[in-house]
Amino acid sequence: MSLTNENFNYRIKEFPRSVSILGWGLLALGIILIVVSFFIDRTRSSFNILISFMFLMSIGLGSLFLVALEYVAGAVWSTPIRRVSEFLSTILFIIPVLAVPLYFSMHEVFHWSHSELLRQDAVLAGKSPYLNVPFFIIRTLVCFAIWLLFYILIVRNSEKQDELKSQAITTRNIRSSAVFMPVFAITITLAAIDWMMSLEPHWFSTIFGVYYFAGTILAALASATIAVVLFIRKGYFTNITEDHLYSLGALLFAFVNFWAYIAFSQYLLIWYANLPEETTWFLLRWQGSWKIVSIALIVIHFIVPYFGLLSQPSKMNPRRLMFMSVWILFAHLFDLYWLIMPTFSRTGVTLGWMEFAFPIAAVGLVIVFFTLKAKNTNIIPIGDPKLQRGLDFRL
Amino acid sequence: MSVDYSKEFSVIEGRPTLAEVNDLIARPTETRPDRLYYIILTITVSMLLFGVVCLGFTFYYGIGEWGNNIPVGWGFGIVNFVFWVGIGHAGTLISAILFLLRQKWRNGIARFSEGMTIFAVMTAGLFPLIHVGRPWLAAYLFPYPNEHGVWVNFISPLVWDVFAVSTYLTVSLIFWYVGLIPDLANLRDRTTGKIKKLIYSVFSLGWRHSNRHWHHYEMVYLVLAGFATPLVLSVHTIVSFDFAVSVLPGWHSTIFPPYFVAGAVFSGFAMVQNVLIFVRKIFHYENIITIDTLEKMNKIMLLTGSMVGYSYAMEFFIAWYSGNPIEQFVFINRAFGPYAWAYWIMVTCNVISPQLFWFRKIRRTVPIMLIIGMFVNVGMWFERFVIVVTSLSRDFLPSSWHYFTPTWVDLGILTGSFGFFFTWLLLFIKTLPVVSIAEVKGVIEGAQVEHHIAEDSTAYRPRQQEDI
Amino acid sequence: MDKNLLFAVTALFDTPGEIIHAARAVREAGYTNYDVNTPYPVHGMDSVMKLKPSTLSYVALVLGLTGAFAAIFFMWWVSAVNYPLVIGGKPYFSLPAFIPITFEVTVLLASIGTVVAMLFIYFKLPNNSYPLHDTDYMRSVSSDKFGIVIMARDPMFDEEKITALFKDMKAGSVASVYFDPDEIGTLHRAIDKRFLGFLAAVFIITAAATYFSLNYILYWQPFNWMAEQWKVTAQSKSTYYSDGFGMRMPVEGTVARGFMPFLYKGNQAAAAKYMANPLVASKEVLAKGQDKFNTFCSPCHGYFGKGDSRLRGQFPAPPSLQSEKVRNYKDGDIYYIITEGQNIMPSYAKQITREERWAIIHYIRALQRSQNAGGSEAK
Repeated sequence: MSLTNENFNYRIKEFPRSVSILGWGLLALGIILIVVSFFIDRTRSSFNILISFMFLMSIGLGSLFLVALEYVAGAVWSTPIRRVSEFLSTILFIIPVLAVPLYFSMHEVFHWSHSELLRQDAVLAGKSPYLNVPFFIIRTLVCFAIWLLFYILIVRNSEKQDELKSQAITTRNIRSSAVFMPVFAITITLAAIDWMMSLEPHWFSTIFGVYYFAGTILAALASATIAVVLFIRKGYFTNITEDHLYSLGALLFAFVNFWAYIAFSQYLLIWYANLPEETTWFLLRWQGSWKIVSIALIVIHFIVPYFGLLSQPSKMNPRRLMFMSVWILFAHLFDLYWLIMPTFSRTGVTLGWMEFAFPIAAVGLVIVFFTLKAKNTNIIPIGDPKLQRGLDFRL
Repeated sequence: MSVDYSKEFSVIEGRPTLAEVNDLIARPTETRPDRLYYIILTITVSMLLFGVVCLGFTFYYGIGEWGNNIPVGWGFGIVNFVFWVGIGHAGTLISAILFLLRQKWRNGIARFSEGMTIFAVMTAGLFPLIHVGRPWLAAYLFPYPNEHGVWVNFISPLVWDVFAVSTYLTVSLIFWYVGLIPDLANLRDRTTGKIKKLIYSVFSLGWRHSNRHWHHYEMVYLVLAGFATPLVLSVHTIVSFDFAVSVLPGWHSTIFPPYFVAGAVFSGFAMVQNVLIFVRKIFHYENIITIDTLEKMNKIMLLTGSMVGYSYAMEFFIAWYSGNPIEQFVFINRAFGPYAWAYWIMVTCNVISPQLFWFRKIRRTVPIMLIIGMFVNVGMWFERFVIVVTSLSRDFLPSSWHYFTPTWVDLGILTGSFGFFFTWLLLFIKTLPVVSIAEVKGVIEGAQVEHHIAEDSTAYRPRQQEDI
Repeated sequence: MDKNLLFAVTALFDTPGEIIHAARAVREAGYTNYDVNTPYPVHGMDSVMKLKPSTLSYVALVLGLTGAFAAIFFMWWVSAVNYPLVIGGKPYFSLPAFIPITFEVTVLLASIGTVVAMLFIYFKLPNNSYPLHDTDYMRSVSSDKFGIVIMARDPMFDEEKITALFKDMKAGSVASVYFDPDEIGTLHRAIDKRFLGFLAAVFIITAAATYFSLNYILYWQPFNWMAEQWKVTAQSKSTYYSDGFGMRMPVEGTVARGFMPFLYKGNQAAAAKYMANPLVASKEVLAKGQDKFNTFCSPCHGYFGKGDSRLRGQFPAPPSLQSEKVRNYKDGDIYYIITEGQNIMPSYAKQITREERWAIIHYIRALQRSQNAGGSEAK
């Protein structure tokens, strides 16, 4: 299949109105429910907004990482579908906004932010040079700034290539992406420690950043796969074959395993050494009905996707892939719930309409951002020199 | 630098014909070794024999000949074990993981690094046996029904190690041998010697390059790669469990599993890169193991080196963050205590030196990358030394603190392990093709047809439109 | 030796593109017993030849799952059933700790099994010879040519027609290959005598090596510095001391920690006066007293303390413990007699601990009450 103008007239395209209606509808419904929930139980809402905040961060930041990864690794198969991840990374713009309500409810969410506690708690006092409100805000702002900077450096540049069709842009993007890699590693670790590990300020685990990273990539890959399958189904992508789908499926499968590996390593080492300062975190998640959630996490996040994506044909079958991607996206949300919520409700699971309201808004937000961005940008990077090779890609 | 991204560059340079590649790769197995070969072999065998003498001392007089003391009960034995297992990881990474990622440049170096994996794991496997002091009792490591009515302790990571390392050696050997079958058939059809022909015929299992065989062969190779990939992660993970399941500060850290794996790949790549530089020069493989291939290896070293650096930083940060004074002391002690020299050698070699690979020029300059690779190997050896020795030498009870100094027997066994490894490697490069002939042929420019030629008009349909 | 049986017609091509076209043409012409020989796997050939996806991956799946469950079952049986031992405070069946080995066994079994299945089913191990071997055709496809071959057993086989077909495709060289059916059989030789003999030899050698290592090597002592050290061990002789014993007696008057010497040695009256039973006559104490009494006292004094020795007169009968005299003994008296002995009765201080002595005294008191019931106790 060769490149013709007909094939590449992607700018003139109209998404069905139903998509944006769905997106705005979910967002509006979600926001209404969120506002109501804020009046009912402010603390619980704050914890829920933290979950959605991390969820959106996973998709946005993970997608930016996938884009950068393609440049650094020199991959070609993903070039025709790179725009999907680029669109998803636009969510990074909304994340700072979502952090604002969290700032106002810091005292409800972060135990360490009560500076008067430091006198009673020597351990927390020792950590206060790191865990204090001003430094926390500075770190957060720096992370946001860095991510947006690299969004502009990489994604904006890639969009410019549609017009300029210059190879130099690819070269420049490879360089920016290479620089982004270590920066990404540091900032995502800081984000994971600050926003999730510090919920239990006495607990610590060196692998925690890697754990969140594994989930992030899964969320980004799953969202990209959903969008790619939908685009194929609706005829926006005509040249994407099952070999491309296979690559996405294989990556999903690999990262499902990677997540399980990291999660198991963390659990085994803490379980085995049995040190009281570390086991508290898992014991909390083994208390009362949290036990069910912990066991369900293994099934939802590992066993089902593992067997769902194990065989070669299942990685190519769009229907299976679609189902597993939605499943994995849910699993990541469930993982975040398991990471964050026990701090709010220590004795047992809290699960009500509030826990569903926030993800509804988050999903709506992703759809809205995606459609807005996709409306005036090519959904295939037509200026990318690697595009033809990507379309010709076969296993 | 200007690169045309719209074209795929062949990983084999100079557009050689299939026959040229075949002759080039098979030549070392068909010619007599030259004088240089014998000189190097003499050196490695001497090193090996020196190691054997030191082992004799160890067995005859006991582990007391080593520098081990109380509290440093794990000395060079474990340091060397972890070092060599780590070296063994690059081979499987190259042959399995890069295969799954469809990195064609791996084809030129996969066979060689698989061989290195096997020899490195064999070398590593010696150390636990030596360290038990009475290696003839090794059978007790395996669970077998014995007259004592006793079983091994399946909860102990040391037993996990037995399973992991022996599985790894077995699977690596199988993987290596399966890859060798077509090449042995190739040599069988080339050779003129009668005995050689018999040996090649037996071991090539009647291979006849049939596509009906290739078809299953490729599936098996894929399955093996699929199993070897998590296996390679598991092996060094389990090695890291040896340390991390304990409660010793500096050993008990949840990042140990991925950190050890990254470190293992890092050191393995450094070793493969170092040896390949000589092999490609001596055997004139510059077109097969191209400078681009070496550059890609250097990039992976940069990546894994940075991952190792991330882990060092993370350990330091969390040691402070944990608020545990003993944990904090251990890390301060590492960086500024009596073993500060080892620590800073480690940091310089492992974290700082690979950062030079950010520069394209350095990535592509053979002598510099050779030196950096050597630095990395030194650094990774010291990493294990730092982990094992600093944590043990100053444990919970200050009255029992003790500085560890290796004896000449320790150093002799380390030397001997290098001799053992390189002797095997030298024997390998003159008896078997060190580059996979079939795999390299498959990635020569023009070796594969355009997909629309191969896609049968009836067999292929753009399937994405249906099924949805 | 008839080497004239026709095996197949072969043709060689120079490029992968040509061989793809040739294979497609042969398949479309309706041949089924044909094969393509290439020095490396040519992508797309499988779909041209319409080969079904290899089923070997299912072998891997089945064997992998078998390995996983077998490993878990075995570790459960060993650690929780056959040899339960608490290690590090972990439960007998510690699933997290069993995961690593389960994984390794899964991989090991699946990898070996898949390769063995491929070798036996598809490569027909131990068959090694094949009519195409040692032909120019094989040497060419081994090196740099791409060959196609149509076997004589194909129902549509016609040597001339096929030769013409290949020539039409501009094949580099077309040749017919003959073979000797006596020398090169086409059947699977898995039950060939020589192969079975080889397997038997492997089995015997393995078994012998295992037997040797488990029954001999494990009992070697090539170097015994650790087992036999230059020190005096318990029960060993010594030429250094005049009495020839390696073990020494403690210095006179040494008091072991927690074992103050008996204060009233040689003074029964004082013992009776000052010693009181520190134990309460609880059920457990009486049970213990009964146990020790039956072991140490009853052979002479009888199970009920009546002095009815079970020694059948081989030893002077001891006094009854039910006598008026003994019933009026203080506890300290009995303690003294057990500790120091009396008349012909030796000291039992070595055999019976202090606490057990007091327990025995409680039991003797109970025996006395049971045998001399009267007054309020009789009711």
